[in-house]
Order: sequence, then C-alpha cells, then structure tokens
Amino acid sequence: MRNPSTRTRPDPGIPSAGIPARLAALRTALGPADRRPGPALPLGLPALDAHLPGGLALGPPHEVAPAEPADGAAALGFALALCARRLDAVPGEALIAAAPGLPLPHGHGLAALGLDPRRVLLLETGGDAEVFRALEAALHARCLAALLGLVGGGLPLKPGRRLHLAGEGPDPPLLLVLRPAGLGPPNGAATRWRVASAPAARDRFGGIAGPRWRARLERCRNGRGGDWTLEWDRDARRLRLPERLAGDAAAAGGARP
Amino acid sequence: MTRLRRAGLAPESPLAVAADGPGGLRLVALDAGARALGLRPGEPLGRVRARIGVPLHVRPADPEADAAALLRLCRWAGGYAPGVSPFGPAEGGHGLYIDVAGASHLRGGEAALLDDLAGRLARGDVPARVALADTPGGAFALAAHGPADRILAPPGAAAMHLRDLPVAALRLDPGTVAGLRRLGLRRIGALDDQPRGPLARRFGEAPLLRLDQALGRRPEPLAPLAAPDAFAAARGFLDPIGRQADVVAAARGLMAEIAPRLERAGLGACALRLALHRVDGLARALDIGLSRPERCPERVAALVSLRLDRLGAGLDAGFGFETVALTVTATGAVTVRQGVLGAEPAGERVGALADALAQRLGRRLVRLAPRESHRPERAERALPWDGADPSTSATAPWPDHLPPRPLVIFAQGEPARDVLAAAPDGPPRRFRWRAREHRVARAEGPERIAAEWWRAGGGPRDYYRIECEAGRRLWLYRDGPHAPDRPAAWYVHGIFP
Repeated sequence: MRNPSTRTRPDPGIPSAGIPARLAALRTALGPADRRPGPALPLGLPALDAHLPGGLALGPPHEVAPAEPADGAAALGFALALCARRLDAVPGEALIAAAPGLPLPHGHGLAALGLDPRRVLLLETGGDAEVFRALEAALHARCLAALLGLVGGGLPLKPGRRLHLAGEGPDPPLLLVLRPAGLGPPNGAATRWRVASAPAARDRFGGIAGPRWRARLERCRNGRGGDWTLEWDRDARRLRLPERLAGDAAAAGGARP
Repeated sequence: MTRLRRAGLAPESPLAVAADGPGGLRLVALDAGARALGLRPGEPLGRVRARIGVPLHVRPADPEADAAALLRLCRWAGGYAPGVSPFGPAEGGHGLYIDVAGASHLRGGEAALLDDLAGRLARGDVPARVALADTPGGAFALAAHGPADRILAPPGAAAMHLRDLPVAALRLDPGTVAGLRRLGLRRIGALDDQPRGPLARRFGEAPLLRLDQALGRRPEPLAPLAAPDAFAAARGFLDPIGRQADVVAAARGLMAEIAPRLERAGLGACALRLALHRVDGLARALDIGLSRPERCPERVAALVSLRLDRLGAGLDAGFGFETVALTVTATGAVTVRQGVLGAEPAGERVGALADALAQRLGRRLVRLAPRESHRPERAERALPWDGADPSTSATAPWPDHLPPRPLVIFAQGEPARDVLAAAPDGPPRRFRWRAREHRVARAEGPERIAAEWWRAGGGPRDYYRIECEAGRRLWLYRDGPHAPDRPAAWYVHGIFP
C-alpha cells in the first residue's frame, strides 16, 4: 500500500516553499542575456547601488567623461577611485592603457587617492585603437582586477562591442574607459558617467579634506540615471554622500553668492 | 703551481708537483724554492728525494684542474679580444693566444695593450711571459724562448727576432730538436738557411711547416675558444615557406629544439632573434623580448605570431624564406616554482599578457616607482614590469609621510598669469591659467620644497593647494621669494582629483 504522501512529495532539487522565487530565477535565467545580473562591484552606497543593477557590472565597459575639459583630473580621479575600490576587494593589479598626449596619473597622487601605485601597471600606446586592443587582450587574459583605458576620442560602437564580447565569461575585471569631454556617440557601455569637480570636504581646521565630485549617471543598462555629489574616503576606499552639516555650506548646496 | 698558490694550497716551500711518468713519479712543476735547490721538471721523484737533504713537499698533479684554470684565464683574456685560444699539446698547454688584430686600438695600441696585459697578470700573481708578433708561432717562440719577459715584435720584423732563438722554440717534438742539434742546427736562423729539400727528406714536413708558420709564410688558423653555450637552431627549407602559419610552426619547432638545451642549463630565453632568410638573399631579423625567462615553444610561437600580425604586409616574404634561424640572444635563470594544481598563478598570466602586448603593440608595461627627489616632477620613474609580486617585491615602498600630492602633475609648471596674492608670502587670491580666470575659494600652504643643492638651477618653491570657486583643486607654487623689484612668478604644477 503506497502512502499517498510519497507521491506529492516534491522533487528534492526543487524547493517547494520558493515556487515564486524559483519562477523568478527561471525568468532571469531564460530572459535576455543583458538582463541576467552578472558579477558586479557594489559601490557600498545604497543611494547609488539602488540605481545600478547591484553595482558596476564587471566585464562590460563603463564610460567616464568629464563634464567640462577642465574637469579631466576629476574624472580621472573618479575612475581611479572605482579601480581602488575594486583592488581593495580582490587581489591583483590594475592596468592603465593610455593614448598619447593624455595626462597620466602621478605615483604619489595615486597613493594619496588610496590606490597602491605598486599595483598599477601603465601602458603608453600609440593611439585609441591600440588602447582598445590592449584592453581586449587584457580582458581575454583574465589576469588583472581592473582595467582603465584613457582614450583621446571616445568609445565607438565597434570597439565597444568587441570589449563587451571579450568581457563575457567567468571572473571578469572592472573595465573603465575614460574619454575627454564632449558629446560621445552611442556605444555599448553599460554605464556612462559624467564627472565634475565639486568643492571638497573641509576638515576641522577648514583645510581641504577628501575630494568631492559631482557625478551624473547619464545612462545605465538595467538601472536608472541619477545625479549625486560624492565624497571619496581614501582610507575606507568607499564613496559616500557628503554629510549635510549646518556649517558645510558647499555640501549643503546652499549659501551661494 | 700558480693555480695552487692562488688557491692557497701552497703554504710551504720548497714545493713540487709530481705526476706519473716513465719510471714512476716525476716532477712536473716546481716553485722558486725548489728551483733554488737545483731541481728540474722531469726528474724522477725518488732520485730527487735521495739527492736533496731538505724535506720536499710534493703534491699530486691535477691536469683537469689545470685545464679549468687555463680556461678561466682564457675567458678573462677574452676582455682584450674575442679571439682567444688556449695552448694545445704542441705548445705544452701552459698558455694562450690572443688574436689582437683589430682590437689593440681599444687599449691604446699594441705596446699599451702588452703593458696592460703584463701588468694585470703580475697584479694577479700570475707569472707570465708575453710576446706579440705577426704570427702565433712567432709570438709563441718569443714568449717561450725570447730574451725578455715582454717582447713586442713590430710588424714584419718577426723573422729578425726569431733568427737567434733555439729551434726548440718552433714547437717541434724533442726527437726532432735533438736530431737538428746533432746536425749543428741550433738556431732558427741556421735552420732557415738550409736547403729545404734534404731537410724535408730527413725530418719530414714538421720542421718546415713550423718554420713557415712562425715566419708567416704559411697561415696558421687558431681554434678560438667556443663562445659560452650559444642556444640557437636553424632550419632550411627545400621549398621556401611564405605563409605566416608556416613561419610560426618553424619557430615553434626551433624553440622545441632549443628548449631541452636551455633546460639542461637551467636557463630560459629573455630575448630571442628570429632570422628569416629570403630566397633572394635578403634577411629579416625579428627581435622578441620576453618579460621573464621562458622556454616554452608554444608561448614563443604565440609571440612570433603576434609579432607577424603586427608586421602584416611589412614582412615581405617575396618568393619565400628558405632558412629560418632562432637564436637566444639573452638568457636568464628560470626559477622553478611550485604551481597550484589547476590554477595558473596570476603573475604568469600577467607576464604572458605583457609579452603579448609587447609583441602586438611594441610597447612595454611599466610600473611607477618612487624616486628619492624633493622635486615633485622628479619623484617618480617608470620601471619595466618585471613580474615581481607587488606585495612582496623588494621595490621601495611609496612614502606615506608626504602631504597630499596631485593626481596629475605637469613635467614643467605652467605659468599662471595676473596673479593677485598678498605680499610677501600670502596664498594667491586670483589668477589666470589656461585662458580662464580662477578665483581661489580656499588655500592651504605653503609647503616649501627646497631645490636640490646637488643639481644646478632652481630655487625653493612655495607650494599652495588651492580650491577654486568652481570646485577645482590645483597645486600652485611661487618660484622663489617675493622681491620688491621683481614680482614673484607663479606656476600651476598639478591638478588634484
């Protein structure tokens, strides 16, 4: 005589309690490829991560551009801060591939930003095309934790697509492309950031403390854009929103002349 | 004897070295004390012991160590000229030839070279007789039997110098020397004056050959010491190859030939040269540098392939290559490390990436390293990536006591114009830079960075870290103090993030 309960006992591989969760997982697994959440680098800031699909997706390129030509160093600092956050999370090294004529980071400046210069490899190339080839080779090699390309033009559609393909697979690095100011053509970047300098945080004595940037997320696949003033904490390697202290006029956004 | 003395194995005197000879042990080498007793090389040891009244220290001969010592001396002498060959059995094996043709000017002429050589040997406690002549035979005769320790025979005058030397100087075997002496031919000049026919009938070709070689009438090729283990391989093709895949396959095969030799020597290739010889006689050489010693044929083939990719049509195969040669131009010791099963260490892969980029783009990965300099623009340098693990590497750590430094620094300060600053040492309030007016909202400083006294030029600089009203942070400096008659010059030197 068979016990009827044995027939209704669910398959051990399927958790019976989570039917809706399982359906959701199936939907994600069967959905379009870009909807599937891949590995991501959380920025550690709920306000930001809520706009991103769990953080900066690892593998596909992210584009960072200064809001104005004079904000080049701010955009570079923002991109390097993201690299520093990635290097803080995983062992390995970062590669900076630069087109000629673009300012390269200063070693002591990297250290001041919280990025160990000994973990940064530099490659000076002969042009944007070589930057993209180097980034692609580095993506295929899968041996570096973060990649940053400094290009003089932008990220055109075709190299963007190639980088996208090269970044697919297990254990991808963080890939950032820094382009100069100006309107970039549409490309395959997962996110596009526009960064400008913002008045820095003040320490107790009124001196200049950590750098602050005004970062605008212009485009984000599987997310929505946003606009934040971010402060970089070099010791914790994390971005944070400026504290709105009464005395901190710059951060509060008020008291403009 | 010299070898023993240099090795500290000859503390006592008199000392002799004995080896097995006809009729038991015979002396082969003596020190000065033993010579003073009237001993001669070649005497039977037993008779010597019976003859002299003082104790004689005897050491066994070690021909292998002698040969190794001579080889070391030859390698050292390679610094004078590349063509160095040790003495063979005909010369007795205790010396070496240096072919200084075309190399003597590097030491300031032949006389200076001879002085230098003799001086260095004397300082090294190596007793030596040196001679320089047109021919190896002449130089040997003058060095072995000449009237002085140091003889320089001018070009063409060797025959005159040689005439008075005994015939033994011609590197003849003792039987021939004795035979010539019986005929009354004791000097080379006398031998040279004899009719050649009867001489050749009686003693064979050897004396005439040696005579001609010494006088330069017949050439005497020297076998130079082989260069230390060259790693190279070449392959010829009956049907010339032209396709890239074939060249890559040939390179892989050549490396597979070289790899076992490298492995036996415990070395890896740090630089390779692939020579491609075209059918029409043109040769093309591709130099391939590696970031770390390598001997894996697959990796070398991959690098060759990348290099050919980059060349593209630049590699003109013409009607094809008939010979492909691969030479290891630089080697390095391979340190074998224990790998993790199933996981290639990241350093290996970064090395492979560095090599691939070097071949694909022709550019090297660099890493920044601090340099001890006060001047900020000189405080860092780029070192080629060497594969060292950054966490454990011996490179100098970055100093962390410095005040904040800008993220981007200019090689040279860019002048800031129309600077409004409080005299004499106040921070700037307003300035113009890159065609834009900057109003300073906040300034920190000054940080005085003094000039390096061991370098010419430049005075102390006062650096200010300022923030504009727009939020941009710059690093400005005032070059030198403010003077009443000369307004201070201001420069923007870097940008903070």
